[in-house]
Amino acid sequence: MKFYSVPVEERKESGRYTVLRYRWPGPVEPGQFVMARAVGYPATLDPFLARPFSFYDHDGEWASLLFEVRGRGTALLDAAGKIEVSAALGRGFRIEPSGERAVLLGGGVGIAPLKILGRRLDEIGVPHDVFLGFADGATAVAASDFPGAGVATMDGSVGTHGTVLEAVPDLGSYGTVYACGPNPMLAAVKRAVGEGKLCQLSVEERMGCGNGSCNGCVVPVLGGYVRSCVEGPVFRAEVLAW
Amino acid sequence: MRERMAGVKLEVELCGIQLRTPLIPASGTLAKEALGEVEEVYGAILPKTTTPASRAGNPPPRVAETPAGMVNSIGLQNPGIEGFLRDLGAFDLGVPLFVSAAGDTVEEFGALCERLGADERIAAIELNLSCPNVECGGLTFCATPTAVEDVVAACRRTTSMPLFAKLTFEGVVENALAAEAAGADALTVMNTIPALTVDAHRRSVLVRGGLSGPAIKPVALRAVYDVSRAVRVPVLGSGGVASGWDVAEFMLAGATAVQVGTASFVRDPREILDEFASYLKQAGLAAVDLTGALRENPR
Repeated sequence: MKFYSVPVEERKESGRYTVLRYRWPGPVEPGQFVMARAVGYPATLDPFLARPFSFYDHDGEWASLLFEVRGRGTALLDAAGKIEVSAALGRGFRIEPSGERAVLLGGGVGIAPLKILGRRLDEIGVPHDVFLGFADGATAVAASDFPGAGVATMDGSVGTHGTVLEAVPDLGSYGTVYACGPNPMLAAVKRAVGEGKLCQLSVEERMGCGNGSCNGCVVPVLGGYVRSCVEGPVFRAEVLAW
Repeated sequence: MRERMAGVKLEVELCGIQLRTPLIPASGTLAKEALGEVEEVYGAILPKTTTPASRAGNPPPRVAETPAGMVNSIGLQNPGIEGFLRDLGAFDLGVPLFVSAAGDTVEEFGALCERLGADERIAAIELNLSCPNVECGGLTFCATPTAVEDVVAACRRTTSMPLFAKLTFEGVVENALAAEAAGADALTVMNTIPALTVDAHRRSVLVRGGLSGPAIKPVALRAVYDVSRAVRVPVLGSGGVASGWDVAEFMLAGATAVQVGTASFVRDPREILDEFASYLKQAGLAAVDLTGALRENPR
Protein backbone atom coordinates (compact mmCIF):
# COMPACT_ATOMS: atom_id res chain seq x y z
CA MET A 1 0.00 0.00 0.00
CA LYS A 2 1.32 3.38 -0.95
CA PHE A 3 1.17 6.03 1.76
CA TYR A 4 1.55 9.76 1.33
CA SER A 5 3.06 11.88 4.05
CA VAL A 6 0.98 15.02 4.64
CA PRO A 7 1.08 17.75 7.29
CA VAL A 8 -1.96 18.11 9.52
CA GLU A 9 -3.27 21.55 8.57
CA GLU A 10 -5.79 21.78 11.37
CA ARG A 11 -6.84 19.71 14.36
CA LYS A 12 -10.05 20.39 16.20
CA GLU A 13 -12.17 18.61 18.72
CA SER A 14 -15.78 17.86 18.08
CA GLY A 15 -17.22 16.49 21.29
CA ARG A 16 -15.21 13.36 22.06
CA TYR A 17 -14.02 13.14 18.48
CA THR A 18 -11.01 14.59 16.71
CA VAL A 19 -11.16 16.13 13.25
CA LEU A 20 -7.89 16.30 11.30
CA ARG A 21 -7.69 18.33 8.13
CA TYR A 22 -5.06 17.86 5.44
CA ARG A 23 -4.53 18.87 1.85
CA TRP A 24 -5.81 16.23 -0.54
CA PRO A 25 -6.63 17.33 -4.08
CA GLY A 26 -7.21 13.77 -5.25
CA PRO A 27 -10.68 12.46 -6.10
CA VAL A 28 -12.89 11.38 -3.18
CA GLU A 29 -16.37 9.88 -3.26
CA PRO A 30 -18.65 10.07 -0.21
CA GLY A 31 -18.36 6.82 1.73
CA GLN A 32 -14.80 6.13 0.62
CA PHE A 33 -12.12 5.74 3.28
CA VAL A 34 -8.37 6.06 3.79
CA MET A 35 -5.84 4.03 5.69
CA ALA A 36 -4.07 6.47 7.99
CA ARG A 37 -1.47 6.53 10.74
CA ALA A 38 0.95 8.87 12.43
CA VAL A 39 4.20 9.30 10.51
CA GLY A 40 6.78 6.84 11.68
CA TYR A 41 7.04 3.57 9.82
CA PRO A 42 9.39 1.72 9.93
CA ALA A 43 10.70 3.21 13.15
CA THR A 44 7.31 2.67 14.76
CA LEU A 45 6.45 -1.00 14.51
CA ASP A 46 3.84 -0.83 17.24
CA PRO A 47 1.15 -0.16 16.31
CA PHE A 48 1.93 -1.93 13.10
CA LEU A 49 -1.12 -1.43 10.90
CA ALA A 50 -2.69 1.75 9.65
CA ARG A 51 -6.33 2.45 10.56
CA PRO A 52 -9.28 2.85 8.21
CA PHE A 53 -11.26 6.10 8.43
CA SER A 54 -14.13 7.34 6.32
CA PHE A 55 -13.65 10.73 4.78
CA TYR A 56 -15.49 13.22 6.96
CA ASP A 57 -15.33 15.98 4.42
CA HIS A 58 -13.63 16.86 1.15
CA ASP A 59 -14.07 20.03 -0.86
CA GLY A 60 -11.81 19.07 -3.75
CA GLU A 61 -8.76 20.57 -2.08
CA TRP A 62 -8.92 19.75 1.62
CA ALA A 63 -9.88 16.49 3.24
CA SER A 64 -10.76 15.80 6.85
CA LEU A 65 -11.11 12.70 8.97
CA LEU A 66 -13.24 12.37 12.10
CA PHE A 67 -12.31 9.71 14.62
CA GLU A 68 -12.43 8.74 18.26
CA VAL A 69 -9.27 7.97 20.18
CA ARG A 70 -9.76 4.34 21.14
CA GLY A 71 -6.25 2.95 21.37
CA ARG A 72 -2.62 3.75 20.72
CA GLY A 73 -2.98 3.99 16.95
CA THR A 74 -5.64 6.67 17.16
CA ALA A 75 -3.88 8.36 20.12
CA LEU A 76 -0.72 8.75 18.04
CA LEU A 77 -2.74 9.97 15.08
CA ASP A 78 -4.49 12.49 17.32
CA ALA A 79 -1.15 13.92 18.45
CA ALA A 80 0.57 13.85 15.06
CA GLY A 81 1.71 16.95 13.22
CA LYS A 82 2.22 14.87 10.13
CA ILE A 83 0.27 11.82 9.07
CA GLU A 84 0.55 9.16 6.42
CA VAL A 85 -2.54 8.48 4.35
CA SER A 86 -3.46 6.26 1.44
CA ALA A 87 -5.44 7.50 -1.52
CA ALA A 88 -9.24 7.19 -1.34
CA LEU A 89 -10.23 3.52 -1.07
CA GLY A 90 -13.33 1.37 -1.41
CA ARG A 91 -16.75 1.82 -2.91
CA GLY A 92 -18.69 4.73 -1.55
CA PHE A 93 -22.37 5.63 -1.59
CA ARG A 94 -24.18 5.40 -4.88
CA ILE A 95 -25.85 8.73 -5.34
CA GLU A 96 -28.85 9.06 -7.57
CA PRO A 97 -30.36 12.44 -8.28
CA SER A 98 -33.97 11.49 -7.73
CA GLY A 99 -36.76 13.83 -6.77
CA GLU A 100 -37.38 11.91 -3.58
CA ARG A 101 -36.16 13.04 -0.21
CA ALA A 102 -33.21 11.15 1.29
CA VAL A 103 -32.45 10.44 4.92
CA LEU A 104 -28.95 10.14 6.40
CA LEU A 105 -28.60 8.16 9.61
CA GLY A 106 -25.39 8.18 11.65
CA GLY A 107 -24.45 6.44 14.88
CA GLY A 108 -21.49 7.54 17.01
CA VAL A 109 -18.28 7.90 15.07
CA GLY A 110 -20.28 6.56 12.11
CA ILE A 111 -21.52 10.09 11.51
CA ALA A 112 -18.24 10.69 9.66
CA PRO A 113 -19.18 9.94 6.03
CA LEU A 114 -22.51 11.77 6.33
CA LYS A 115 -20.82 15.17 6.26
CA ILE A 116 -19.28 14.68 2.81
CA LEU A 117 -22.38 12.82 1.65
CA GLY A 118 -24.60 15.73 2.68
CA ARG A 119 -22.31 18.11 0.86
CA ARG A 120 -22.56 16.05 -2.31
CA LEU A 121 -26.35 15.73 -2.09
CA ASP A 122 -26.57 19.51 -1.70
CA GLU A 123 -24.42 19.97 -4.79
CA ILE A 124 -26.71 17.91 -6.96
CA GLY A 125 -29.88 19.20 -5.35
CA VAL A 126 -31.14 16.12 -3.54
CA PRO A 127 -33.23 17.20 -0.54
CA HIS A 128 -32.30 15.32 2.61
CA ASP A 129 -32.60 15.16 6.38
CA VAL A 130 -29.89 14.07 8.80
CA PHE A 131 -30.39 12.19 12.05
CA LEU A 132 -27.52 11.39 14.39
CA GLY A 133 -27.43 9.05 17.37
CA PHE A 134 -24.91 9.15 20.20
CA ALA A 135 -24.27 7.44 23.50
CA ASP A 136 -24.45 10.63 25.54
CA GLY A 137 -24.37 14.40 25.53
CA ALA A 138 -20.57 14.60 25.42
CA THR A 139 -20.38 12.78 22.10
CA ALA A 140 -23.52 14.49 20.77
CA VAL A 141 -21.57 17.77 20.66
CA ALA A 142 -20.33 16.55 17.27
CA ALA A 143 -23.84 17.13 15.89
CA SER A 144 -23.17 20.88 15.95
CA ASP A 145 -21.27 20.38 12.70
CA PHE A 146 -24.51 19.19 11.06
CA PRO A 147 -26.88 22.16 11.09
CA GLY A 148 -30.51 21.10 11.29
CA ALA A 149 -29.77 17.48 12.14
CA GLY A 150 -32.07 15.57 14.47
CA VAL A 151 -30.26 14.11 17.46
CA ALA A 152 -30.85 11.14 19.72
CA THR A 153 -28.86 10.02 22.75
CA MET A 154 -29.02 6.71 24.52
CA ASP A 155 -28.88 8.40 27.93
CA GLY A 156 -31.50 10.95 26.94
CA SER A 157 -29.34 13.95 27.81
CA VAL A 158 -29.73 15.55 24.37
CA GLY A 159 -32.54 15.23 21.84
CA THR A 160 -34.64 12.12 21.57
CA HIS A 161 -34.09 9.52 24.28
CA GLY A 162 -33.09 6.33 22.44
CA THR A 163 -31.55 5.23 19.18
CA VAL A 164 -31.18 7.27 16.03
CA LEU A 165 -34.12 5.41 14.49
CA GLU A 166 -36.34 6.69 17.28
CA ALA A 167 -35.47 10.27 16.30
CA VAL A 168 -36.85 9.81 12.77
CA PRO A 169 -40.54 10.81 12.70
CA ASP A 170 -41.49 8.99 9.50
CA LEU A 171 -38.86 6.72 7.99
CA GLY A 172 -41.31 5.53 5.37
CA SER A 173 -41.55 9.01 3.85
CA TYR A 174 -38.01 8.91 2.47
CA GLY A 175 -37.12 7.52 -0.94
CA THR A 176 -33.51 6.73 -0.14
CA VAL A 177 -31.74 5.77 3.08
CA TYR A 178 -28.03 6.18 3.80
CA ALA A 179 -26.61 4.94 7.09
CA CYS A 180 -23.29 4.51 8.85
CA GLY A 181 -22.67 3.34 12.38
CA PRO A 182 -22.03 0.24 14.47
CA ASN A 183 -23.15 -2.94 12.71
CA PRO A 184 -26.05 -3.63 15.14
CA MET A 185 -27.41 -0.17 14.30
CA LEU A 186 -27.10 -0.87 10.58
CA ALA A 187 -28.91 -4.17 10.99
CA ALA A 188 -31.70 -2.31 12.82
CA VAL A 189 -31.87 0.26 10.01
CA LYS A 190 -32.13 -2.53 7.46
CA ARG A 191 -35.03 -4.11 9.38
CA ALA A 192 -36.79 -0.79 9.87
CA VAL A 193 -36.51 0.26 6.22
CA GLY A 194 -37.73 -3.07 4.88
CA GLU A 195 -37.57 -4.09 1.24
CA GLY A 196 -38.10 -2.21 -1.98
CA LYS A 197 -36.22 0.94 -1.08
CA LEU A 198 -32.64 1.98 -1.88
CA CYS A 199 -30.93 1.58 1.48
CA GLN A 200 -27.15 1.84 1.61
CA LEU A 201 -25.15 0.91 4.69
CA SER A 202 -21.51 1.79 5.37
CA VAL A 203 -20.08 -0.97 7.56
CA GLU A 204 -17.32 -0.81 10.12
CA GLU A 205 -14.91 -3.74 10.21
CA ARG A 206 -11.48 -4.53 11.60
CA MET A 207 -9.12 -4.09 8.67
CA GLY A 208 -5.62 -5.27 7.80
CA CYS A 209 -4.57 -3.92 4.44
CA GLY A 210 -7.36 -1.78 2.99
CA ASN A 211 -6.83 -2.88 -0.62
CA GLY A 212 -8.44 -6.31 -0.73
CA SER A 213 -5.29 -8.32 -0.21
CA CYS A 214 -5.62 -9.78 3.28
CA ASN A 215 -9.29 -10.82 3.27
CA GLY A 216 -9.50 -9.74 6.90
CA CYS A 217 -12.38 -7.23 6.88
CA VAL A 218 -15.14 -9.45 5.59
CA VAL A 219 -18.87 -9.09 6.11
CA PRO A 220 -21.41 -11.89 5.65
CA VAL A 221 -23.47 -11.92 2.47
CA LEU A 222 -25.67 -14.57 0.96
CA GLY A 223 -23.36 -17.51 0.19
CA GLY A 224 -20.26 -16.38 2.02
CA TYR A 225 -18.17 -13.37 2.88
CA VAL A 226 -17.03 -10.32 0.93
CA ARG A 227 -14.33 -7.80 1.76
CA SER A 228 -15.59 -4.51 3.14
CA CYS A 229 -12.50 -2.67 1.84
CA VAL A 230 -13.03 -3.31 -1.88
CA GLU A 231 -16.59 -4.61 -2.28
CA GLY A 232 -17.61 -2.03 0.36
CA PRO A 233 -17.48 -0.33 2.79
CA VAL A 234 -20.88 0.79 1.47
CA PHE A 235 -23.29 -2.04 0.67
CA ARG A 236 -26.88 -2.14 -0.41
CA ALA A 237 -28.77 -3.38 2.63
CA GLU A 238 -30.27 -6.39 0.86
CA VAL A 239 -26.80 -7.73 0.06
CA LEU A 240 -25.78 -8.08 3.70
CA ALA A 241 -26.73 -11.30 5.49
CA TRP A 242 -27.69 -9.58 8.74
CA MET B 1 14.00 5.12 -7.86
CA ARG B 2 14.75 4.54 -11.52
CA GLU B 3 18.09 6.34 -11.29
CA ARG B 4 19.13 4.35 -8.27
CA MET B 5 18.30 1.08 -10.03
CA ALA B 6 20.24 1.95 -13.16
CA GLY B 7 23.03 -0.53 -13.64
CA VAL B 8 21.97 -2.67 -10.68
CA LYS B 9 21.52 -6.32 -11.59
CA LEU B 10 18.36 -7.44 -9.81
CA GLU B 11 17.53 -10.57 -11.77
CA VAL B 12 17.82 -14.07 -10.34
CA GLU B 13 17.05 -17.55 -11.59
CA LEU B 14 14.77 -19.92 -9.69
CA CYS B 15 14.35 -23.51 -10.91
CA GLY B 16 15.20 -22.41 -14.43
CA ILE B 17 12.71 -19.52 -14.30
CA GLN B 18 14.15 -16.08 -14.90
CA LEU B 19 12.92 -13.50 -12.38
CA ARG B 20 13.62 -9.83 -13.07
CA THR B 21 13.75 -9.18 -9.33
CA PRO B 22 14.05 -11.66 -6.44
CA LEU B 23 10.87 -10.27 -4.84
CA ILE B 24 7.67 -12.31 -4.94
CA PRO B 25 4.42 -11.53 -3.12
CA ALA B 26 3.73 -14.05 -0.36
CA SER B 27 0.59 -16.02 -1.07
CA GLY B 28 -2.57 -14.41 0.28
CA THR B 29 -1.18 -10.90 0.53
CA LEU B 30 -1.78 -9.44 -2.93
CA ALA B 31 -5.27 -9.07 -4.37
CA LYS B 32 -5.89 -8.43 -8.04
CA GLU B 33 -7.35 -5.07 -7.01
CA ALA B 34 -3.90 -4.06 -5.71
CA LEU B 35 -1.86 -5.16 -8.73
CA GLY B 36 -1.68 -1.63 -10.10
CA GLU B 37 0.51 -0.70 -7.14
CA VAL B 38 3.15 -3.33 -7.77
CA GLU B 39 3.94 -3.23 -11.47
CA GLU B 40 7.68 -3.73 -12.07
CA VAL B 41 8.27 -4.61 -8.41
CA TYR B 42 7.93 -8.37 -8.35
CA GLY B 43 9.84 -11.02 -10.27
CA ALA B 44 6.82 -13.31 -10.23
CA ILE B 45 3.22 -13.08 -9.09
CA LEU B 46 1.75 -15.49 -6.54
CA PRO B 47 -1.97 -15.15 -5.82
CA LYS B 48 -3.87 -16.45 -2.82
CA THR B 49 -4.07 -20.21 -2.29
CA THR B 50 -6.54 -22.11 -4.42
CA THR B 51 -8.37 -25.24 -3.24
CA PRO B 52 -10.43 -27.82 -5.17
CA ALA B 53 -13.80 -26.39 -4.05
CA SER B 54 -14.66 -22.86 -3.03
CA ARG B 55 -14.22 -21.97 0.63
CA ALA B 56 -16.18 -19.31 2.48
CA GLY B 57 -13.38 -18.82 5.00
CA ASN B 58 -13.64 -18.18 8.72
CA PRO B 59 -16.12 -15.84 10.39
CA PRO B 60 -14.70 -12.47 11.45
CA PRO B 61 -12.73 -11.24 13.31
CA ARG B 62 -10.00 -12.60 11.08
CA VAL B 63 -7.14 -10.22 11.74
CA ALA B 64 -5.66 -8.70 14.86
CA GLU B 65 -2.71 -6.40 15.21
CA THR B 66 0.28 -7.22 17.39
CA PRO B 67 3.54 -5.36 17.98
CA ALA B 68 5.43 -5.48 14.68
CA GLY B 69 2.97 -7.84 13.10
CA MET B 70 -0.50 -9.25 12.79
CA VAL B 71 -2.32 -12.48 13.51
CA ASN B 72 -4.67 -13.76 10.84
CA SER B 73 -7.14 -16.55 10.54
CA ILE B 74 -8.70 -16.20 7.10
CA GLY B 75 -9.49 -19.86 6.49
CA LEU B 76 -8.33 -20.00 2.87
CA GLN B 77 -11.33 -18.10 1.53
CA ASN B 78 -11.20 -18.62 -2.23
CA PRO B 79 -13.51 -19.34 -5.17
CA GLY B 80 -12.13 -22.84 -5.81
CA ILE B 81 -9.92 -24.01 -8.68
CA GLU B 82 -12.46 -23.45 -11.47
CA GLY B 83 -13.20 -19.87 -10.52
CA PHE B 84 -9.54 -19.27 -9.81
CA LEU B 85 -8.44 -20.39 -13.29
CA ARG B 86 -11.21 -18.35 -14.95
CA ASP B 87 -9.89 -15.25 -13.20
CA LEU B 88 -6.19 -16.03 -13.59
CA GLY B 89 -5.71 -13.61 -16.49
CA ALA B 90 -6.18 -10.73 -14.05
CA PHE B 91 -2.83 -11.63 -12.52
CA ASP B 92 -0.88 -11.38 -15.78
CA LEU B 93 1.68 -8.64 -15.23
CA GLY B 94 4.04 -10.05 -17.84
CA VAL B 95 6.08 -11.94 -15.25
CA PRO B 96 6.00 -15.64 -14.34
CA LEU B 97 2.88 -16.71 -12.47
CA PHE B 98 3.21 -19.06 -9.51
CA VAL B 99 0.13 -20.66 -8.00
CA SER B 100 -0.35 -21.64 -4.37
CA ALA B 101 -2.39 -24.81 -3.94
CA ALA B 102 -3.89 -26.66 -0.99
CA GLY B 103 -6.08 -29.69 -0.52
CA ASP B 104 -7.65 -31.57 2.37
CA THR B 105 -6.05 -34.86 1.36
CA VAL B 106 -2.97 -36.14 -0.47
CA GLU B 107 -5.25 -37.14 -3.33
CA GLU B 108 -6.70 -33.63 -3.59
CA PHE B 109 -3.21 -32.13 -3.69
CA GLY B 110 -2.27 -34.51 -6.50
CA ALA B 111 -5.39 -33.73 -8.51
CA LEU B 112 -4.85 -29.98 -8.11
CA CYS B 113 -1.27 -30.25 -9.31
CA GLU B 114 -2.33 -32.28 -12.31
CA ARG B 115 -4.81 -29.57 -13.25
CA LEU B 116 -2.46 -26.64 -12.61
CA GLY B 117 0.49 -28.40 -14.20
CA ALA B 118 -1.40 -28.59 -17.50
CA ASP B 119 -2.08 -24.83 -17.58
CA GLU B 120 0.50 -23.07 -19.72
CA ARG B 121 -0.03 -19.74 -18.01
CA ILE B 122 1.45 -21.13 -14.81
CA ALA B 123 5.22 -21.36 -14.26
CA ALA B 124 5.34 -23.12 -10.88
CA ILE B 125 3.16 -24.46 -8.07
CA GLU B 126 3.67 -23.67 -4.40
CA LEU B 127 2.23 -26.35 -2.14
CA ASN B 128 0.65 -24.79 0.93
CA LEU B 129 1.43 -27.54 3.42
CA SER B 130 0.17 -25.59 6.43
CA CYS B 131 -3.44 -26.55 5.90
CA PRO B 132 -5.07 -29.35 7.92
CA ASN B 133 -4.77 -32.90 6.59
CA VAL B 134 -8.20 -34.41 7.22
CA GLU B 135 -6.74 -37.91 6.93
CA CYS B 136 -4.45 -37.20 9.87
CA GLY B 137 -6.96 -35.89 12.37
CA GLY B 138 -6.60 -32.32 11.21
CA LEU B 139 -2.85 -32.02 11.81
CA THR B 140 -1.17 -30.04 9.05
CA PHE B 141 0.68 -31.65 6.17
CA CYS B 142 3.80 -30.27 7.86
CA ALA B 143 3.18 -32.25 11.06
CA THR B 144 5.65 -34.99 10.15
CA PRO B 145 8.33 -35.53 7.50
CA THR B 146 6.38 -38.60 6.35
CA ALA B 147 3.29 -36.49 5.68
CA VAL B 148 5.38 -33.96 3.77
CA GLU B 149 7.01 -36.70 1.74
CA ASP B 150 3.66 -38.33 0.91
CA VAL B 151 2.03 -35.18 -0.35
CA VAL B 152 5.01 -33.88 -2.30
CA ALA B 153 5.54 -37.29 -3.89
CA ALA B 154 1.88 -37.45 -4.91
CA CYS B 155 2.13 -34.02 -6.54
CA ARG B 156 5.43 -34.91 -8.19
CA ARG B 157 3.83 -37.90 -9.90
CA THR B 158 1.24 -35.67 -11.60
CA THR B 159 3.37 -32.92 -13.07
CA SER B 160 6.82 -31.94 -14.23
CA MET B 161 6.10 -28.28 -13.43
CA PRO B 162 8.41 -26.84 -10.74
CA LEU B 163 6.98 -27.55 -7.27
CA PHE B 164 7.76 -25.43 -4.23
CA ALA B 165 6.92 -26.89 -0.82
CA LYS B 166 5.93 -24.16 1.62
CA LEU B 167 6.90 -25.21 5.13
CA THR B 168 6.10 -24.10 8.66
CA PHE B 169 8.79 -23.41 11.24
CA GLU B 170 8.22 -26.51 13.35
CA GLY B 171 10.50 -29.32 12.16
CA VAL B 172 11.51 -27.25 9.20
CA VAL B 173 14.85 -28.92 8.44
CA GLU B 174 13.47 -32.47 8.63
CA ASN B 175 10.48 -31.46 6.55
CA ALA B 176 12.73 -29.72 4.03
CA LEU B 177 14.80 -32.85 3.60
CA ALA B 178 11.63 -34.91 3.19
CA ALA B 179 10.24 -32.52 0.57
CA GLU B 180 13.50 -32.51 -1.33
CA ALA B 181 13.68 -36.30 -1.27
CA ALA B 182 10.12 -36.49 -2.61
CA GLY B 183 10.99 -34.30 -5.55
CA ALA B 184 10.28 -30.69 -4.54
CA ASP B 185 12.17 -28.28 -6.79
CA ALA B 186 12.33 -25.53 -4.18
CA LEU B 187 11.24 -24.80 -0.62
CA THR B 188 9.39 -21.79 0.68
CA VAL B 189 10.57 -21.12 4.20
CA MET B 190 8.42 -20.27 6.08
CA ASN B 191 4.72 -19.76 6.78
CA THR B 192 3.20 -17.82 9.70
CA ILE B 193 3.80 -18.96 13.29
CA PRO B 194 0.89 -20.24 15.44
CA ALA B 195 -0.31 -17.36 17.58
CA LEU B 196 -3.19 -16.09 19.68
CA THR B 197 -4.58 -12.67 20.52
CA VAL B 198 -6.90 -12.12 23.46
CA ASP B 199 -9.36 -9.32 24.07
CA ALA B 200 -9.02 -8.75 27.81
CA HIS B 201 -11.86 -6.23 27.81
CA ARG B 202 -14.34 -8.79 26.49
CA ARG B 203 -12.51 -11.71 28.07
CA SER B 204 -12.51 -13.58 24.79
CA VAL B 205 -10.17 -14.89 22.14
CA LEU B 206 -9.80 -12.28 19.43
CA VAL B 207 -7.95 -14.23 16.75
CA ARG B 208 -6.34 -17.67 16.93
CA GLY B 209 -4.24 -17.99 13.82
CA GLY B 210 -0.83 -17.28 12.35
CA LEU B 211 1.58 -14.49 13.21
CA SER B 212 3.25 -12.61 10.37
CA GLY B 213 5.17 -9.38 9.97
CA PRO B 214 8.55 -8.11 11.19
CA ALA B 215 8.00 -9.83 14.56
CA ILE B 216 8.81 -13.21 12.99
CA LYS B 217 11.74 -12.12 10.82
CA PRO B 218 14.60 -13.48 12.98
CA VAL B 219 12.78 -16.81 13.29
CA ALA B 220 12.34 -17.02 9.53
CA LEU B 221 15.96 -16.05 8.92
CA ARG B 222 17.08 -18.87 11.20
CA ALA B 223 14.86 -21.31 9.31
CA VAL B 224 16.17 -20.15 5.92
CA TYR B 225 19.76 -20.36 7.16
CA ASP B 226 19.36 -23.87 8.59
CA VAL B 227 17.37 -25.25 5.66
CA SER B 228 19.59 -23.84 2.94
CA ARG B 229 22.57 -25.55 4.55
CA ALA B 230 20.76 -28.87 4.66
CA VAL B 231 19.33 -29.08 1.14
CA ARG B 232 20.50 -28.59 -2.44
CA VAL B 233 17.31 -27.13 -3.87
CA PRO B 234 16.76 -23.36 -3.79
CA VAL B 235 14.97 -21.69 -0.89
CA LEU B 236 12.39 -18.92 -1.12
CA GLY B 237 12.71 -16.85 2.04
CA SER B 238 9.51 -15.63 3.65
CA GLY B 239 8.61 -14.22 7.03
CA GLY B 240 8.62 -10.61 8.16
CA VAL B 241 10.42 -9.10 5.18
CA ALA B 242 9.75 -5.38 5.44
CA SER B 243 12.69 -3.59 3.86
CA GLY B 244 15.34 -3.90 1.18
CA TRP B 245 17.86 -4.76 3.84
CA ASP B 246 15.63 -7.60 4.98
CA VAL B 247 15.67 -8.92 1.41
CA ALA B 248 19.47 -8.83 1.43
CA GLU B 249 19.59 -10.56 4.82
CA PHE B 250 17.35 -13.41 3.64
CA MET B 251 19.44 -13.89 0.51
CA LEU B 252 22.67 -13.84 2.48
CA ALA B 253 21.16 -16.41 4.83
CA GLY B 254 20.62 -18.66 1.82
CA ALA B 255 17.47 -17.61 -0.05
CA THR B 256 17.42 -17.43 -3.84
CA ALA B 257 14.24 -15.33 -3.89
CA VAL B 258 12.33 -13.54 -1.15
CA GLN B 259 8.61 -13.19 -0.50
CA VAL B 260 7.06 -9.97 0.75
CA GLY B 261 3.75 -10.32 2.53
CA THR B 262 2.35 -8.44 5.49
CA ALA B 263 4.75 -5.53 5.04
CA SER B 264 3.05 -4.73 1.75
CA PHE B 265 -0.01 -3.70 3.79
CA VAL B 266 1.91 -0.95 5.53
CA ARG B 267 4.51 0.01 2.93
CA ASP B 268 4.74 0.49 -0.79
CA PRO B 269 6.60 -2.63 -2.01
CA ARG B 270 8.37 -0.38 -4.52
CA GLU B 271 10.24 1.20 -1.63
CA ILE B 272 11.45 -2.25 -0.57
CA LEU B 273 12.80 -2.95 -4.06
CA ASP B 274 14.33 0.51 -4.15
CA GLU B 275 16.13 -0.09 -0.86
CA PHE B 276 17.34 -3.47 -2.05
CA ALA B 277 18.71 -1.91 -5.24
CA SER B 278 20.55 0.73 -3.29
CA TYR B 279 22.01 -1.94 -1.01
CA LEU B 280 23.31 -3.82 -4.05
CA LYS B 281 24.70 -0.67 -5.60
CA GLN B 282 26.48 0.30 -2.42
CA ALA B 283 27.86 -3.22 -1.96
CA GLY B 284 28.88 -3.44 -5.62
CA LEU B 285 27.02 -6.73 -5.96
CA ALA B 286 24.41 -8.28 -8.21
CA ALA B 287 21.36 -9.90 -6.60
CA VAL B 288 22.48 -13.29 -7.84
CA ASP B 289 25.75 -12.92 -5.89
CA LEU B 290 24.02 -12.65 -2.55
CA THR B 291 22.55 -16.11 -2.04
CA GLY B 292 24.37 -17.72 0.86
CA ALA B 293 27.24 -15.26 0.56
CA LEU B 294 27.81 -14.79 4.29
CA ARG B 295 31.45 -14.29 5.18
CA GLU B 296 33.05 -16.85 7.45
CA ASN B 297 34.88 -14.39 9.66
CA PRO B 298 33.64 -10.89 8.91
CA ARG B 299 35.73 -8.02 10.12
